[in-house]
Amino acid sequence: MLGLPLTFAVPLVLTALAALPAIWLLLRITPPQPRRVDFPPLKILADLRPEQETPARTPWWLLLLRLLLAAFLILAAAGPIWNPLAEDNNRSPLLIMLDNGFAAAHDWRDRMNLAAERIEAAGRDGRTVALVATAEAPAAIEPASPATALERLRSLKPLPHLQDRQAHLDSIRRFMETMPEANIVWISDGVAGVDGQGFIDGLAQMANGQRITVLKAERAPALAVAGVENASGQLNVRLVRPESNGRDTGTVRVLDLKSLPLADMRFSFDPNATETTVAFDLPTEIRNAIARIEILGEGSAGAVHLLDERGKRRRVGLVFGGTSDQAQPLLSPLYYIERALSPYSEIRNGRGAVADAVNQLIDEQVSILVLADVGGLDRETLGKVTAFVEQGGMLLRFAGSRLAAGNDELVPVRLRRGGRSLGGTLSWDTPKTFAPFTRESPYFGLAVPEEIGIRRQILAEPDGDLPARTWASLADGTPIVTADKRGDGMIVLFHVTADTTWSNLPLSGLFVDMLRRTTALAGAPSDANAEARNAENETVAPRLTLDGYGIYTSPPANARAVARNYAERATLEHPPGFYGPVDSSLAVNALLPGDRLAPLNYAPLNARIAPLAGAQTIDLRMPLFMLALVLLLIDTLASLWLGGHLSNLTGRLRRAGAAAAIVLGAAVVLNPVSDANAQERRSSMTMESSNPALVTRLAYVITGDPQVDETSKAGLTGLTQVLSQRTALSPGEPIGIDLSRDEIAFYPLIYWPVVASRPMPSEAAIRRLDAFMKGGGTVIFDTRDAFGNRPDGAPTAEGQYLRRMLASLDIPELEPVPADHVLTKTFYILDTFPGRYATGQTWVEALPPAPEGEASRPARSGDGVSPIIITSNDLAAAWAVGARGEWIYPVVGSDQRQREFSYRSGVNIVMYALTGNYKADQVHVPALLERLGQ
Amino acid sequence: MARVRVLPESARSPGRRETESALSLADRMPHLVLEARRVAANLAHGIHGRRRAGTGETFWQFRPFVAGEAAQRIDWRRSARDDRLYVREREWETAQTVWFWIDRSASMGYVSDLAQASKIERAVVLGLALADCFVESGERVGMLGLMPPRATRRIAETMAQTLVTDRSSLEEDLPPQAPVAPQHEAVLISDFLSPVRDVTAMVEGISSRGARGHLVMIVDPVEETFPFQGQAVLHDLEDGLSLRIGDAISWGQAYRLRIEEHRAALQELARRRGWTLTIHRTDRPASEAALRIMTLVSTTRGTGVGGR
Repeated sequence: MLGLPLTFAVPLVLTALAALPAIWLLLRITPPQPRRVDFPPLKILADLRPEQETPARTPWWLLLLRLLLAAFLILAAAGPIWNPLAEDNNRSPLLIMLDNGFAAAHDWRDRMNLAAERIEAAGRDGRTVALVATAEAPAAIEPASPATALERLRSLKPLPHLQDRQAHLDSIRRFMETMPEANIVWISDGVAGVDGQGFIDGLAQMANGQRITVLKAERAPALAVAGVENASGQLNVRLVRPESNGRDTGTVRVLDLKSLPLADMRFSFDPNATETTVAFDLPTEIRNAIARIEILGEGSAGAVHLLDERGKRRRVGLVFGGTSDQAQPLLSPLYYIERALSPYSEIRNGRGAVADAVNQLIDEQVSILVLADVGGLDRETLGKVTAFVEQGGMLLRFAGSRLAAGNDELVPVRLRRGGRSLGGTLSWDTPKTFAPFTRESPYFGLAVPEEIGIRRQILAEPDGDLPARTWASLADGTPIVTADKRGDGMIVLFHVTADTTWSNLPLSGLFVDMLRRTTALAGAPSDANAEARNAENETVAPRLTLDGYGIYTSPPANARAVARNYAERATLEHPPGFYGPVDSSLAVNALLPGDRLAPLNYAPLNARIAPLAGAQTIDLRMPLFMLALVLLLIDTLASLWLGGHLSNLTGRLRRAGAAAAIVLGAAVVLNPVSDANAQERRSSMTMESSNPALVTRLAYVITGDPQVDETSKAGLTGLTQVLSQRTALSPGEPIGIDLSRDEIAFYPLIYWPVVASRPMPSEAAIRRLDAFMKGGGTVIFDTRDAFGNRPDGAPTAEGQYLRRMLASLDIPELEPVPADHVLTKTFYILDTFPGRYATGQTWVEALPPAPEGEASRPARSGDGVSPIIITSNDLAAAWAVGARGEWIYPVVGSDQRQREFSYRSGVNIVMYALTGNYKADQVHVPALLERLGQ
Repeated sequence: MARVRVLPESARSPGRRETESALSLADRMPHLVLEARRVAANLAHGIHGRRRAGTGETFWQFRPFVAGEAAQRIDWRRSARDDRLYVREREWETAQTVWFWIDRSASMGYVSDLAQASKIERAVVLGLALADCFVESGERVGMLGLMPPRATRRIAETMAQTLVTDRSSLEEDLPPQAPVAPQHEAVLISDFLSPVRDVTAMVEGISSRGARGHLVMIVDPVEETFPFQGQAVLHDLEDGLSLRIGDAISWGQAYRLRIEEHRAALQELARRRGWTLTIHRTDRPASEAALRIMTLVSTTRGTGVGGR
């Protein structure tokens, strides 16, 4: 229209523009509502009629505003479209084929817009639309309304695999039979799918004479990663592209399993090449951590390559022939091997006897089996190890006295029985060092430190092929490391021990480097090993898959498990990603190593080929309506303003604002108070109860009997006061604990008055108590029944209760406190431990019997503190003090000083719980001093 | 454009604030002693001594008898002490009565943002302050139709209480037409936005026995200048009249002419009856009007116009 790319969907509506002058007239004579003015003098001049009755005109700008509003509304109703798609104006159905393999992910948004534009254009022309996404599973193609098609289009996403377009040929053929006049639009990514050129050929036959429009980028822009080669020392990443498309450089990033970037590397294609290689030269441990390789910014599943556990860290199994003393790890050869290998390999230690350990490790599918000083193996194990080596495993052996004495076939060279000692007391020789590594040796290039000295070694028989099997030799030419291939695997023998008895090699950095190079030679557990043999039947479920953009997602609903030995491209059912558990994942990738991306040849289609750029159609209805709405709002505000209502409104708003400010201010004024309250509460909680570890305090078990609990608290308070007065210890406030709820690890001593009428503590509480006692805590059980208990009488209810409770605990042997027990000496020297009653017996863990000849020691103690003290004297009642410091309960007994002694007992018990057997050692001090004086 | 506000009815009764500001205004007024001659003829006896000899009840002084005086004036008790004759003089105690009336109709509860205070607030402050000043200087103050004359020290509070308790005058534009005794003064504070003939009838009724008075016309600046433009609907506060005007500017010119006429008529009315008219705009300080009224009350005493 008028040379502009503008059309109207309903041009007839535009005639309404002719009514604008009428609207102008109408608006002009209806001015806005006048403002109201209160005016008292009106009474005396009510007869003063207005002289000029004609109202003020509507202001010109308001008039203009309203006219514009009307004009915008009319224009919007006419449905203007900017840049309409130049389409042959027919009514035939439209079939849109949209490539949504990973190759389309890079510019997916453009493709979506393009498809949406086509569908909308078809909708304006009243055509039906059918939509085919080529990467999805083929289904019957139904023409649908453009709105439905648009909805379906919006639900489409790029899929992470290479599409098989040929699968859709059948359904397309059926569609074309029912709708022979349909137009086909193919939005292509330009990359041949797994079917290669087949789809185009089929389509060309079928759509004979039909117009086909192919929308594609001039040069297929896809980039992809096809295969990673874990070469020695570096990681080679192979990048491919369908054709030279100008995207010659970029960055490849490697990431670990947590998606943390490990390294970036620039890549560049030769301008005409379709593949290139990027080499990452990374340390082994970093290389082993790589889980994902991606082309930065590509945003496509094809540009992501996942690496699984295959070809990564070698699993190394260690077996030691001797008995290793756990207490002296430095004497075990495995210690050195483990320290040297653990940064680069996964270490498995064999358990049990040598045969068991070897069997177990081979079952665990180690790739390297280390036998350190293992002599003979039994026949069955020998066969197993031989099979392991022949199937590709590496056997790494270290010499030792047992190997020197043994005799088996699993050595690379024939060995002479017995060893050779260098630099011993009966030898003229000095310890030998290494000769420089030869070029053939895998250790070539490692520097040999001067200080390495081999004092003893196992000698090889000088066979003809010995030099070929020698990886390292001493300065005098005797082989020190030999290796031999067996089947697919390899046997490597270090002619020295892995510990420091024969040489100081394990202490040097050279040892680490040699072991690294050795393990790097070990083949990855290949398909031939045991893991792969039963892999046909084993399937692994998808765990983490990629979406079309190469982003990790949870597996889609259509993802199926794959066989353990799956080595195909990803498909719709098996999207790329990690399959199986985390530690033995199987990675499935969109492209196989060695794949290339091929460009499509559209020549057979005889199609109209258009660039991917859309027409950028803009429907102007929505902006126009929005504009009209904004004008309407402005008009409303202007009318209010002219009528004088706006100032009222602002006044009201101001008042409301003031009210809000007052409320806010009040809230602010009030809040600090509540805040301070909260803080106070919080701090009191922190200080008092939530962190009892800050201060040492006595604790009692809340039995649930209020009077007993009250007595316990008062008693411990009294004891706390006595402790503060008489000793260096200033305990905090005593605290009651609920065994089922509270953490008791903070308290050194727990007082537990036994109340027979309460239910048994729960199993969990007993377990916690057990842990507390095992962890060094002391519990005082007080049955409080000494008054009613006769020494030979039946046990009281409390005693029975205590017995039942302790039955499920691991209680050590108990005895009445012996006279020389350290408990009697820790602060005061005591004979008995009276409480409110003096007749009860106090029991502690039995001490080990006194050693012979030392019977005269004044104090004796075990290794630790007795975890349990049982008394029946009702200690707490004797200690209990009231608020004014008065004693609450009288003591029962004849001794005037019983209360004093009960406090002394308490002090001794607390000191015993806190200092342990320290006082038992203290009794030696005079003797020691005396001895020093001499 | 000026913004105007109509006060609610509760604001038209004097509160503590008005009373206090009235008292502070009264403190600032000069203490006038009303002119002697005018007061001497007054028949009413007040309680306030004049610090000079005159008619009263309190002893003032003895002075020697002057020949020719009436013999009955001799104070024989004093004269008996020596051989001279004394006359007992009493202190001159007189009082003048001033009647107040404050308009509290709806039109008074009106304030624009050009004014310092609403009309009703200014009227009450002015009235109470004047009353306090008058009582201070020995006069007696009454309220037309509400309160008999009295000379209490707390006249401002008393008047305020009287006003608050009287609900009926909230609707009345003009004071009751009860005649005021001759020699008394009336101070009428209102906006006088009533037809001139009503005002005339009222003034003539009050002054029918020869009392004189002062009209204080409280005007909001908006009522004088009419600073509006464009379309407007004018609302009257008392009668519910409303007037729609298309162009406020041109109507305002006519309005200003009309309000001038109204004032001129009031001026003429006051002049004829020997009264005075004071026009007080609420954007001016209240002391201005108070000072003028005080001056008028004290000076017009001697002019002897109106019924004398």
